[in-house]
Amino acid sequence: MLDQIDPSRAISEAADRVARTTRGGLLKQAGVGAAILLGGVCTPAAAAATSQKQDQAILNYALVLEYLQSSFYTEAERMGALKGALARQAEVVGAHEREHVRALRAVLGPVAIARPRFDYRGVTEDPSAFRDTAVAFEDLAVAAYKEQAPRVQSKELLASLLSIHSVEARHAAWIRYLAGRLPAPDAFDDPLPRRRVVAIVEDTRFIVAPAKTSGKKPPRFTG
Amino acid sequence: MAEQVTVEVVSENACADDDTSRHPRRVEILERAVVAGGALLAGGVLITGLPRLATSAPSAKQDAEILNFALLIEQLQVAFYAESLMHGRLRGQWRQFAQVVAGHERAHRQFVESALGSKARKAPRFRFGEATSDPGKFSAAAVALEDTALAAYNGQGPNLTASALGAAARIVSVEARHAAWARVLAGQNPAPQAVDPPATEAEATAALKRRGLLDG
Repeated sequence: MLDQIDPSRAISEAADRVARTTRGGLLKQAGVGAAILLGGVCTPAAAAATSQKQDQAILNYALVLEYLQSSFYTEAERMGALKGALARQAEVVGAHEREHVRALRAVLGPVAIARPRFDYRGVTEDPSAFRDTAVAFEDLAVAAYKEQAPRVQSKELLASLLSIHSVEARHAAWIRYLAGRLPAPDAFDDPLPRRRVVAIVEDTRFIVAPAKTSGKKPPRFTG
Repeated sequence: MAEQVTVEVVSENACADDDTSRHPRRVEILERAVVAGGALLAGGVLITGLPRLATSAPSAKQDAEILNFALLIEQLQVAFYAESLMHGRLRGQWRQFAQVVAGHERAHRQFVESALGSKARKAPRFRFGEATSDPGKFSAAAVALEDTALAAYNGQGPNLTASALGAAARIVSVEARHAAWARVLAGQNPAPQAVDPPATEAEATAALKRRGLLDG
């Protein structure tokens, strides 16, 4: 039964749309996003991956995805191009994603990865591009969290990630409804491996530079 | 919970570069970071406001118990939407919602049933009263049902073995989508909180009984 469902068609399609929207005028920055997303917290190759380090790597991966989303909604709100239900969605969901960032950073403490620099290439200024990107982001987040859940070693951490995972699914359904699409397109949502997620995020070229932070600066919670 | 967040952040450039000799401090920073982070992880990772549920060591036997509880919820949902559609009082977007969701819940029930095999329990008799015949009551019941279903799955997640969790995770986000969809149609905030609080089996059962969706 698991095999009968195309694991990620919906997400790929959404991601393709993101890519089409944003492919014009690219900066040659390919690789930056992948380095960040795949890097996570890099453990020395020789060291055995302890369960704790594995959990930290998962958290940092989740953190980058939350950065990607929270900065997107924050910027969309600031641009002020969204009206009505879409503006309300960005306001509520943006607050959630910022809260997820804050929570993940609090748990990771000193090993939290820094916020990269993003360039959303105009999708935060155009309501329909915003909507399509938000659909892709939310469906992607659901699939990414789902893939990681069974790998999480700490039960408490797992409980927290599951509680975020289902909120991302609520976000996905909400924005899909506003986009005139079926909020729950399939009976089962499928997980998406990290490499696939990375490839999709890479394709958007939204991540333009890793954060420079490596000193003792306090983290920024600007969105 | 965020007060203590400061200190060193390992740069991604250091991560991307394998030549540690050029970054003599990298390993040292990482070691310290991991130790500090470890203390935090061990000290409890709960995200603000989430209740701490008791967890027990996963086992195949426990999976079967939990999956039977999941099966009860899916059986309840299947019966609820089937009866609502049979009454034929839903119109427009609510009707579409009930039709789509009914199909999903049947697929979930079948999935959980076949995972349980001979251990699957039979569905009890459900009595929904006017919740399936009065559209106003239907919408409130659907929101409660879907919110409760996802909270119940979230609450059981940490008690499942990894493979059972993988399967349950494919269902729980669909329940969350249903919940948000029902809430949009009911004029409620589809995602009322930044994190969904999990429910224990007892809490979820009590919530369903309070709503008159489960006998007892």
